[in-house]
Amino acid sequence: MDKSWLEAAVQFLTSGYLLFVVIYFIGVSLTYTILLVISVREILSQLRHDKFCDFRLTVQSELTPPVSILAPAFNEGPTIIQSVRSLLKLSYGKYETVVINDGSKDDTLAQMIEYFKMYRSKHVYRPIIHTKAVRAIYKSRLPEYRSLVVVDKENGGKADALNVGINAARYDFVCCIDADSILEDDALQKVMRAFLEDDKVVAVGGIVRIANGCDVVNGRVVRVGLSDRLVPIFQVVEYFRAFLSGRMSWQALNGLLIISGAFGLFKRDAVIKVGGYKHDSIGEDMELVMRLHRIHLEKNERYRVTFVPDPVCWTEAPDTLRVLSRQRNRWHRGLLDTMLIHRKMFLNRRYGVVGMAAMPYFVFVELLGPAFEFFGYVSMGIMIATGTLNEELSLLFFIVALFYGVMFSVGAVLLEEISFQRYPKPGDLALLLSFGVLENFGYRQLTAWWRVKAFWDYFRGKKSWGKMERKGFSKPAP
Amino acid sequence: MQLQFLILIVLAVTATIFSIVASVAMIVRKALELGRSRAYERLYRIYSARVAEFLLIELAPNTDDPRPSTVFRQYEELIAPTKKHLEEMNRSRRRFHRDVLRAVLIDMTQDISGDSAERLVYFFYSLEFVEEELRMLQSGKWWVRAQAARNAGLMRARKSITALTAALEDDHPDVRHQAMQALIKLVGVDALGTILRLSRNISRWTAIELSVIVAGFKEEAVPHLTGALESRDQSVVLFSIEMLAEIGFVRAVDPLMNLIRTTGDFKIRAQATKALGRLGDSRAMKLLTELLSHRSPEIRLSALEALGKTGGPDVVDSLEPYLASDDWEERLTAARALAATGLKGIKILQDSEKQEKGEARDLAAQVLEEYGLEPAHG
Repeated sequence: MDKSWLEAAVQFLTSGYLLFVVIYFIGVSLTYTILLVISVREILSQLRHDKFCDFRLTVQSELTPPVSILAPAFNEGPTIIQSVRSLLKLSYGKYETVVINDGSKDDTLAQMIEYFKMYRSKHVYRPIIHTKAVRAIYKSRLPEYRSLVVVDKENGGKADALNVGINAARYDFVCCIDADSILEDDALQKVMRAFLEDDKVVAVGGIVRIANGCDVVNGRVVRVGLSDRLVPIFQVVEYFRAFLSGRMSWQALNGLLIISGAFGLFKRDAVIKVGGYKHDSIGEDMELVMRLHRIHLEKNERYRVTFVPDPVCWTEAPDTLRVLSRQRNRWHRGLLDTMLIHRKMFLNRRYGVVGMAAMPYFVFVELLGPAFEFFGYVSMGIMIATGTLNEELSLLFFIVALFYGVMFSVGAVLLEEISFQRYPKPGDLALLLSFGVLENFGYRQLTAWWRVKAFWDYFRGKKSWGKMERKGFSKPAP
Repeated sequence: MQLQFLILIVLAVTATIFSIVASVAMIVRKALELGRSRAYERLYRIYSARVAEFLLIELAPNTDDPRPSTVFRQYEELIAPTKKHLEEMNRSRRRFHRDVLRAVLIDMTQDISGDSAERLVYFFYSLEFVEEELRMLQSGKWWVRAQAARNAGLMRARKSITALTAALEDDHPDVRHQAMQALIKLVGVDALGTILRLSRNISRWTAIELSVIVAGFKEEAVPHLTGALESRDQSVVLFSIEMLAEIGFVRAVDPLMNLIRTTGDFKIRAQATKALGRLGDSRAMKLLTELLSHRSPEIRLSALEALGKTGGPDVVDSLEPYLASDDWEERLTAARALAATGLKGIKILQDSEKQEKGEARDLAAQVLEEYGLEPAHG
């Protein structure tokens, strides 16, 4: 009697869960399809528009607004000189590079002082946004590095360092990047265009691509290729999905919730008005964008947060599962943290597309999706253990889910192929397409587990970033 | 449950078919594109050589009959074999060849002038490329219209001036912008007046693109720009002010001063104030000094900045009180302006660095360092 009662309960729960998963799955698939269609439309429109833009004119014109590039650096000793030199060589009108040494414990600062012949400047630092103490501001004695400013400060994390940069910036536009990111020569021109075409734009994100496997000479990507390790290739496909499909479509609806910390351009005034980066947030980049949305919507001010798919920032991705797991764990904690901070906006009509569409998507698909998937596997395990598994249906569902996973990954690779075609070798394209299929067998489940674990870590109070090991990819000129 | 799974299977099959079809289509497309681009390159080389030949052939001088029609007949004789060859092709092949030939001719217009350029223009007309572009200027697709406007300019097809002028009021900014550039190529600086008269809501991006061309005209552009100061469109006025400042021609001083006195738009007034500073004409000093007490902080800042660029020691007394302003930006701008005025202003800053305390001292030190007036200590 007891046994049959238990079986019935398990059957009821698992069937209920299965039904929920089916509905959820259909909803997610429809959403992805809509987003993919919007992305294709937007990218084609962007490509047509690009044909009529002569970006070189931004370099020649006196009217081009100057930009402050903000690059926080923490223990970047091995790569800092190469990174800063590459930032100083961008093709743009007037710009300054502000490197914020966030209390590095290695020789990051000493190397910069030595290499760029820097002196302690009398430039006044005004803490418009409250930050940790600034120890000194350095400028170069050499005329060729006159646009370089190094701010040395107490350690306070990336958000605090960026706030210092915003305070110290001379110009009205600030470009926040990671010190070890590689910006393409014309990246600033392309990302700036969004502001110049529409004065309501307050923030613009650019695409971030993975540099592992590319040839980098003197801080420039000279040949695009794929890594010989598996982990970065999986991430290339993921980045296509996230940037080309996800961000492109959300920006079209003015519901873009994230601008990557590796490359984003902001109106300085707008960032100051909302209080700068939140220094105790885990996902400070997403949180800032959410706050920009929130405050503009609350004040009924017209604004736009947008994304441009062409200006490229190359970044080094983790090439081991151990480092990748830490990164994904932090990203997911950041997402959870941001959604909780701004929970008031969730399904709140006052916040328009952001509250009614973008946030629900991020909560149900991006945030809870891995949990639903993980518990799907768990419930399948329970059903197998209790002998209540309908093998035929489960197998069918499993196959259907995989087909969809494959479709969206392959769709994102196709999107890249019809638009930017950065991977010129047919072999690379074939490899990417096959990884779009392969990632559904093990890699996706693994990332789902890391992200589920992030919930546990978050509610346990874990705030740390997790160490990102970078090998550096720059080669000197031959 | 079975119905739900049936739906899922249908969706999954659709998804799978989509993935397979899209992948295959992409691979086929890539292969076709590769083949097409090779054919394009081959044809491009052939037509380049043929057009170069046309351009280099010496034509017999027509001293007896100097009418243009005689020259055109000679040009027509040159192009006739190519036209005949094109006419013999089937429609799709002809279209492909015409596309390549058009690209070759357009590319050649970039580097050629004189008699050869005239021949190219004739070829565009004779091969009906101009007519094609005029038809495409009426297309429902904005990118086709924009491309047609660009091509019409590159072809130097004066027949398209009316259509391009109409395109200045197109709904799409890219079409408007290409029409502007084409008109400037066709008409030169005289097109500027029409462009500025018809333009509305010039985006910053368009202003930047246009600025490089306008700056190239130098003082020839000044009458058109001063005329545009009377435009009702704020963006046109702001653009004209910026260009007048950049070109830096003294004839712009009086119209700018007049604009400052008459406009009620603070943004325009502030911009014109800065422009007077960049022009650096002493006639503006009195007005700029008056503007120091304007109620708009933006205009006060512009006046401080302008006086720094315009004034010598005479304006020091007007600037000095702003070192004690409540507003940081005003204090900094006044300090920079003082440094720019010369020795008297610098002396005030040096005294301030020695005698003042706190922020006033730091500010003076910063500005002195910016002007290279303080040795940099490591």
